[in-house]
Amino acid sequence: MAADDAVATNGNRPYEGVRVVDLSSLPGAYGARLFAATGADVVKVEPPGGNAMRRLGPFVDGAPEPEGSLWWAYLAMGCRSVVVDVESDDGHRQLRDLLSSADVVLDDNGPDVLDERGLGYAATVETNPGVVWVSITPFGLTGPKRSWASSNLVTLAASGILYTVGFEDQPPVCPGGPAQVAMHATALNAAMGAALGLRGRRLTGRGQLIDLSMAEVALSMAPETGVPVFLDDRVHRARSGNRRGLSRPFGLYPCADGYVSILVLMPRHWEHIATWVHEVCDNESIIDPVFADMAVRSETMELVDSWVEELTTSMTVLDFFTEAQRRGIPVSPVNTVESLRTDPHLDAVGFWSSVELPAGGEAAVPGPPFRDNAGWWHLGRAPRLGEHTAEVLEPGGP
Amino acid sequence: MTRLLDGVRVFELGIAIASPNAGRILAFHGAEVFKVESPTSPDVVRLIGSAWLRDDEERAAAWPDSSPYVPEMNANKRSVALDLKHPGGRAAARELLASCDVFLANFGARALADLGLDYESVREVRPDIVYVHLPGFGSDPEAPYYPFVAWGPNQAPLVGLDDLTGHAGREPAGIATVAPPDYLSSFHAAWAVLAGLEQRDRTGDGVQVDISQFETTISLLLGPFAMDHALTGNAQSRIGNRSLWWAPEGVYPCRGEERWIAISVTDDDAWRALAGLGRPGWADDERFATNDDRLANVDAVDDELAAWTAGFDAVDLAARLQQVGVAAHVVATNEDILHDAHVTGSGFYTVRPGTRFRRELFGGSPLRMSETPGRWDVAGPSSGEHTVEALTSVAGMAADDVDALVADSGAFVMDDPELTLQRPYEDFLHILFPGEAPDGRDL
Repeated sequence: MAADDAVATNGNRPYEGVRVVDLSSLPGAYGARLFAATGADVVKVEPPGGNAMRRLGPFVDGAPEPEGSLWWAYLAMGCRSVVVDVESDDGHRQLRDLLSSADVVLDDNGPDVLDERGLGYAATVETNPGVVWVSITPFGLTGPKRSWASSNLVTLAASGILYTVGFEDQPPVCPGGPAQVAMHATALNAAMGAALGLRGRRLTGRGQLIDLSMAEVALSMAPETGVPVFLDDRVHRARSGNRRGLSRPFGLYPCADGYVSILVLMPRHWEHIATWVHEVCDNESIIDPVFADMAVRSETMELVDSWVEELTTSMTVLDFFTEAQRRGIPVSPVNTVESLRTDPHLDAVGFWSSVELPAGGEAAVPGPPFRDNAGWWHLGRAPRLGEHTAEVLEPGGP
Repeated sequence: MTRLLDGVRVFELGIAIASPNAGRILAFHGAEVFKVESPTSPDVVRLIGSAWLRDDEERAAAWPDSSPYVPEMNANKRSVALDLKHPGGRAAARELLASCDVFLANFGARALADLGLDYESVREVRPDIVYVHLPGFGSDPEAPYYPFVAWGPNQAPLVGLDDLTGHAGREPAGIATVAPPDYLSSFHAAWAVLAGLEQRDRTGDGVQVDISQFETTISLLLGPFAMDHALTGNAQSRIGNRSLWWAPEGVYPCRGEERWIAISVTDDDAWRALAGLGRPGWADDERFATNDDRLANVDAVDDELAAWTAGFDAVDLAARLQQVGVAAHVVATNEDILHDAHVTGSGFYTVRPGTRFRRELFGGSPLRMSETPGRWDVAGPSSGEHTVEALTSVAGMAADDVDALVADSGAFVMDDPELTLQRPYEDFLHILFPGEAPDGRDL
């Protein structure tokens, strides 16, 4: 179902009646999607060549840009698409009018880019004093790095997070890799800013400019790599592979068909796992009370790890996970995209649904990020390029 | 100046990050957030402490307040210490809840139900409550993982992030030191509170929002890869620091021990700019002419780049690359951030008075609002610091009843309030705040 099809209006969807004009790409997309899902009319303004997300793979087989990108197919769900060529006089006017009609604008064009065309916050607020304008930039609108370029990787580098991830014998490595964690975290903050701005407008009648820096978003997610924690303990956070020295077992351990994450800090958790290893592997040493001390296990980590690995490698990920949880030990599978798609819990709660693709056909998609009891959530498919140009730009037209 | 959430009261039952960080964002914008906690079953931030106070028996009362995570996660909040397993403590919690607009918690669903704080019970006390909770595996008792324990560091592997982290063909590197999923859940929770208040103010009705952290993070991060798997069977996994979309992108060595630079060449213009600074020949090398060419020859372009960057200082090279429009940054260490003029000049870090510590340093919010900015007033509370005040002036209990409850260990007040300390780093604050005294006192 497309976004313009009738959606049951229950009066409870929090952002019904709100128009979001989305000029952004990946750094704002998930935020726009949240608003589209909860009632807002999200209009994505695209240049004739399409939004930058349309060029991001993976693509639907045989369907390249502009309609084949699965990033677009997922993140633009529920939105409308309007093509505007701002290089032309008509296009300039069309965008100006759209901005005048906006309750929220998401803008990741960078400092000054729209202002130089008379299409920025300063120009818009003259005709639309209630506009909530979220400026999303790599390093914010002020400061020595205001003009610096960025990416997901560069953002994570600037925040200190990247330095702490990876093995000691390899370079630091991007957490979450191609999943674009910093981009999505930024988009979530953009959504928070927009929601705060809308509340402000309801209370004061006025809009505002919200200056959101991607680098600061990343900084706000990792006190470990920031300044206050470091000044307090003077410990340089550095990468330590996929286990941590604080305790054992603590980190990733191999199973017969993948990895599990084991987190044993509490005495009762150690007792449970030691008993388990003892039972299955006939290991008498591990139940020696001396190992109940986390510091001892940390000093003898190779030995303790080898005992634990004897158990983990004899089991599948799913068997180890469910049995560990039954025994009250904090364990999780190191899930892959594939194992998540067949995960029994996600299946039982009906997490996966299906959506029509802009390029045609359907695909399974993750469900909503939360479940509410008021009927907030509804999302149709992502729009094709310019699918709603006529109806948005010429209300009452065809 | 008034703030956006002035007058909004939040009852928060939080542990570690996912719920506390959401409460902190609300508190920054003016909400009155009551951190309901118990010394008998403390939040982990009360257990971590600070290395320099370890084994200091004389000042042991300060230990639960000493972790830097106390202000990092709880600045601007009020602490109400109650034993929720004590009938009187539970009754006091219900009195407090009756005057709150928002309920926010990341206790497990089963634990909340056992405490009589599930949605149905809370709604009896406060019918229009905006009830946002973050159980690891949701609140449906029929769901397979409902009773399972979900601990912070297990979240990243659970939702597929660890599998996506590391070099191709090597074991997953995991994300041991930082905890992105907790923060991503907290952002969802704060947004859901705002949406819930929007709905309530418009319709008068409250709402229940169940944020299963398992589902939330997958919904946020894995959509395109899940669709790709459904369509083609391809399961995206780790690819080191490379991009699916452009090349070169990576982490390259620089001069010195453990010095690295992150570089992303996102289009042909950026490549030409980089080539202009780099080795003679790059600009004309047809292996690298277009983005498609560079993706096809990614090993070669990475090797060339790594050999070139090794001769430069990382901070200096990043500045030179950025000057010509190439996205780059030193892979910053804690110390790099401390000395980064962009960060120190931004006001992101702040110093505020605390009750136990004369001055506390903590990180801020990336949301800079021109008309209704948030504000930090105080650092994170000491456990029980506001118990009496909240139970009398907000929950409306008689002072004698509160005293009796404290005497019966159903409620707790701040331990040893006369014991006040200074952070050992006070002498270094001038690095962060050159030439100014951020809390009005001399540095």
